[in-house]
Parts: sequence; C-alpha cells; structure tokens
Amino acid sequence: MGKYFSKEKWKYAFYTLSHPMDGYYWIRHRERGSVPIAIFLVICFSFSFSMNRMLASFVVNDVDPRSVDSLNELGGILLLYGLFCVGNWAITCLMEGEGRLKDIAVALGYAMMPLIITYIPATILSQAVAADEETFYTLILVVGIVWASVMALIGIMQVHNYTLGKTLVTIFLTFIAVFIIIFIFLLIGDMIGQVYNFFYSIYTELIFRT
Amino acid sequence: MKKYRYVKKIIAALLTSATLAVFLSDTAFAYTLPYETYNYDYRNNINFTPAAYVPENSIAGSKLLCDSLLDENGNPTVVGAFVNPQDFCIAPSGEIYVSDTGNNRIVVLNSDMTKAVQIINSFDNNGVSDTFNAPYGVCVSDNNKIYIADSQNKRIVVLDLDGKLVKIVDNPTSEILEEGFDFTPLKVTVDYAGRIYCTAKNVYEGIMVFENTGEFTGYFGTIKVSISLWQKFWRRIATKEERSKQELFIPTEFTGIDVDDDGFIYASNIDENGIQAVRRLNPKGQDVIKKGSKKNVGGDLWIDGMSDYSGPSEITDVVYRDKGIYSLLDRKRGRIFTYDHEGNLLYIFGGLGTQAGTFKAPAAIETLNDKILVLDSLRGEILTFTATEYGSLINEAVALRYDGDETKAEKIWLRVLALDENNELANIGIGKALLTKGDYADAMKYLKLGMNREYYSIAFKRYRNNLLKDNMSYILTGLIVLIIIFTVFRKYRDRKKGKVREGGLL
Repeated sequence: MGKYFSKEKWKYAFYTLSHPMDGYYWIRHRERGSVPIAIFLVICFSFSFSMNRMLASFVVNDVDPRSVDSLNELGGILLLYGLFCVGNWAITCLMEGEGRLKDIAVALGYAMMPLIITYIPATILSQAVAADEETFYTLILVVGIVWASVMALIGIMQVHNYTLGKTLVTIFLTFIAVFIIIFIFLLIGDMIGQVYNFFYSIYTELIFRT
Repeated sequence: MKKYRYVKKIIAALLTSATLAVFLSDTAFAYTLPYETYNYDYRNNINFTPAAYVPENSIAGSKLLCDSLLDENGNPTVVGAFVNPQDFCIAPSGEIYVSDTGNNRIVVLNSDMTKAVQIINSFDNNGVSDTFNAPYGVCVSDNNKIYIADSQNKRIVVLDLDGKLVKIVDNPTSEILEEGFDFTPLKVTVDYAGRIYCTAKNVYEGIMVFENTGEFTGYFGTIKVSISLWQKFWRRIATKEERSKQELFIPTEFTGIDVDDDGFIYASNIDENGIQAVRRLNPKGQDVIKKGSKKNVGGDLWIDGMSDYSGPSEITDVVYRDKGIYSLLDRKRGRIFTYDHEGNLLYIFGGLGTQAGTFKAPAAIETLNDKILVLDSLRGEILTFTATEYGSLINEAVALRYDGDETKAEKIWLRVLALDENNELANIGIGKALLTKGDYADAMKYLKLGMNREYYSIAFKRYRNNLLKDNMSYILTGLIVLIIIFTVFRKYRDRKKGKVREGGLL
C-alpha cells in the first residue's frame, strides 16, 4: 500500500489539482503519479455521480431513483475510462506522444478529482435549494465539469509533450479509436457467438442422432 | 408420528381453501370486469387503478318496446335491432335520439332507456312524404330542434320534436367550395346560436359551419399538416413522377364534435402520432386545449410495436361532460380516456371483446347524468357505464378544482387516495390544499408523491425559510461557539509547540 497510496502521492494528486501544468509534467518525468490512486479516483467519481443522480433533491433531479444502479454505472464508467486510456495510448503511440499507458491513466484519473469535489457538495447543496435557486446548483456542477475537462486536456498535453492543437486533434482521434475498438469487440463477440452456435448445433445433432 | 402428519396436511388444506373461499367471494368483483382501468403516472408507467366506471346495462333495439308502434291487438311491439347505428345524442329533456343508420330511421328512447317513445321514419317535406337515406349524425339543440345528417341524401334535415320539418340544409354554395362539391354530412352538432357544425366525408379543410339560416359560412378549426424533415427531404429528392405517386399530405378528418356550455367546440380527430386527438376550438376556430404536463391528449401513451393492436389510439368521438371534463372514445382498443380541463388524464377504461361491457366497434359516446353511454355500431347496442365510488370521487374533486375550490377538494382527494394510493392528481390536490393552509412539511410530502416539482419547490422554500427564521438564534450562537472553540484550540496547540502568533483574532 505504501508505495502506491503513500502520503506523498496523495499530496501530489492534490498539488496537480491546482497546478496541472507542473503537476502532470513531473508525473511523466519523475514518477510522481500513482495508477491505483487514479483508478480509485475514477471509482470515487462513479459513486459520487450515482449518488448525485439518486440523492439530489427532488427540486433539481428528474431521474427516477429506481433506474439508478450504482454498480452498473461503476462498470460503465470504468469501461469508458479503460477504453479511453487504451484508445488514447494507441493514437498517441502513432503520433509521437511521449506518454506511457500508465501516464495516460493517471492523467485522466486525476482529472476526475474536480468532479468528485463538486458533485458531492452539489448533491448536499441541492437539499437546500428551491426551483429559482437552481442556478447555484448547476453552476457548481458546471464549474466541476469545466475544471475536469481542462485538467484532462492539460494532462494529455503535458504527458505527451504536445501542443494544444495537437492535443485536440488526438482527443478527437481518440474518440474515433474508441468507436473502432467497440465495433471490433462487438464483431468478435458476434463471431464467437456464431462459432459457439455452430459447435452447439453439432453437439445437439449428435445427441439427437444417437 | 406419520398419522399426525396426514392430519396436519388435511387441516392445512382445509384452512387454505376456507380462507381462499372467504377472500375470493369478497373481492371477486374487480376481477370480473371485462377490462382494466388504468392511468399513466409521471414517468409514463401504467398504473392499474380501481374501476372508475363499471358496465351497467346494454340497450339493444331488439329488446325495446315502442309505445307508438302498435300491433293489431294494440300492444306495443319491439323496435327491432339497430343496424349499424352511427350516432346518438341526448336531448335537453333527457330523451335519447339514436341514429339507426342501417334502418334509415331515428329512434327516440326515454331517459331511462327502458322503452322507445318515438320512431322517426319519414317526415312531411312540403306535402310529400320524405325519408332518410343512411342518417349518420344526429343532434338535438337547446331549443328542441332535431338536426339529422342525412348522409346519402346529401343534406341536413332539421325537424322539430313532433317530427315536422323546420328546414333542410343542402347544396352548400360558396367561393371556397369547388364546383360540384359532394356534400355528405357525417356528424353534426349545434351551438346555442343555432349554428350547425358538421363534419363531412372527404372534407379535410375542417368543420363545416352553417348559420342558423342554413347558409354555409366557411370552414372551422382546420388541422395543420405536419411534415417531418425526413419526409421533406425525400420529397425534395424525388422526381415529379415519383412525387405524383406518393401519398398526399392531407390533414386528418374530424371524427366527432361536441359543444360545451360556453360554446366552445370539442372536436376529435385521428392523430397518426398519438399526440393530439382532440381540439377545443374557440369561436374564431383556434385550438385552445390544454395538453397537461405530458403535452399529450391523444389517448394511449404506450403505442409502440408492430402488431395490429399497437399504434396510436383512433379517437372516434368526444363528449364534453361537465366542469371541464371530457371523454374520448378510442375505436382501436375500445378505450375511453377521460381528461380534465388542464389536460390531465383522470382514468382510462374499456376494451374490445364480446363480453358484456366491451365493444366491437364503438361509434359514439355521450353522457347522461353520471353515466357514460357508448353506441356500438356492430353490436347495435348502447352500452351504459355507471360511475363507481372511485370514479365519482375523482369527478367531484376535479369539478371543485375547476370551480376554484381546491381547499374543499382535499377531503375528497383523501378518499380517492384511500382507494388508490398512487393517484398523482389526488396527491397534488392534497398537497396544494395543505400549501394554502400553511402546512408546508406535509404539503411537500404529498407534492413529491404527486411529482409536482413546481409546487413542491414553493412549499419547500417556505418550509426552509420558516425553519431558518425559527432557528436563527441557535444557528448564530452555534457559529460563535464554534469560532471560539477553534481559536482556543489553536492557541493551546501553538503554546504546546512553543510557537507565538502575532496579533489577530485567529
């Protein structure tokens, strides 16, 4: 635990929150980041997201609480996170990015922190706002989302040592890569299913013949 | 031991059957209805509710005796089965006029529907006996004139109550009508000024309006055609030849009309999208209906699917009942949808089938006192439905709200809730009443159950502000105490560490 979840690593995560340019640079070059902390932060974000959907007050929340399944959402968010990391890694490998997979994972994971620290207070605040004060609640959420996007952008930029323009291009390509990965996995899944069905029908045929 | 086991089993079986017998005989009634009563909740899920209306009776022509139709012994004879009846209406006196389309006659029933009092087969047209040919719509005006849409004779016949001819409206002429216009009136209704509103076959421009002199004045309440972007796109890329073979974009025809106490016209139509199947037309012909929070007055909401039974409701008639409540009759699934003046669904009931209380081909709907009457053209019967406690409580509470007595409605809504816990309108009604009373905490509870965000927020704001106002002294005291504790703690810690802080409170 000590190595990955050490006090220094945690402190550095918070340092990155306020100094993303600097922070991400040393994460790449001085091993200051921690992948387990990044994944832990993604999990935390997933739970704060589900919590917001489920527990935000009736005034601001139109989600049917019966439709919220936090474990399901956790799976979805982790999957997206993984896909995005791999997609970005695949693209940046071809585009002279300096970042390793673990740097990308840390960059994106740490970028979740603003979301966690705005979603939870926003959920609590929502218990005290009426409809005409909803703006405060949305403002907090928007601040969190903007902050997180900026962090993710700077993170990818610094980790790969890119310019801003190139970063934006790679992010766009990453989305395409993610779609391709999903498409290929669906294709493989379908094909495996067909092969399975083929052998299964041979099996049933044999069973019925004998 | 083994013996006892058998005894135990027998006793258990006996007890089970006894309890089952008791419960089944007690509550079986709701399950014997041939249809379900339901409503849609805030999230458009179906909520099954207690029955709002139950089938009471069905009136068939073959069982009705007619006073004026006597046999050789002077005894009343039966009217004879209705053949394909298409419309009926209730006269101000309470008598029911049935348009027996297939038999070319109008049958008048007494208000209890126990017997026929009159059969109008023919009338005296300037000395010549004239008959009907497929009379379709029928309507009795407030000043006791019978308006009959004599569809195949291409005219509207106006008689007085004794069957004497008042006037005939035919051959409408106007610049807006094309040459050789074929006037086949279908449904007809009359407002307080004697204006005739009539739907006609193959007329898509709207409802035809005739002055009480019989002069055609124009179309009314034209339905706008909506073309989706996708259709526009396809038409754009189609060649002229292809376009000529495509379907024309024509508005739907009106299927039924009714007039309310203020002279507003309720007109139903078949909407392909299932969103708006009824219009409330003001005297200028503009639609002023309120569509409620769901923005939908088109019948069923669950219309997706590929089967014959899916698809939007086909509303074939509308009846304005009382206090802003109106009901729509769906011929696709045989359901009756009842809305209030704000466009909220109150209850849905009815179904197709062959059992008593179900429809084969519902054609027209009317209301008499607290009853709902439906004319079934294939059965040739009038089916009557009577309100249950649940249905009449809702009607009553909605009527009170329509009159602006929402606080009075609270008690009635509470009784509705006792019958149906999930009734959102009841929860909202109670919540609003409590809000007016100043009981904000309870109002919040009910308004949340009723999923009314707007009023919940009002109640919540007042509740929160009251809470803050009442406890302001505690909150401020607590804050000061916290600050003092914090300062003292800090000083203590500093002293322990041997630090000295320069000036300042903190």
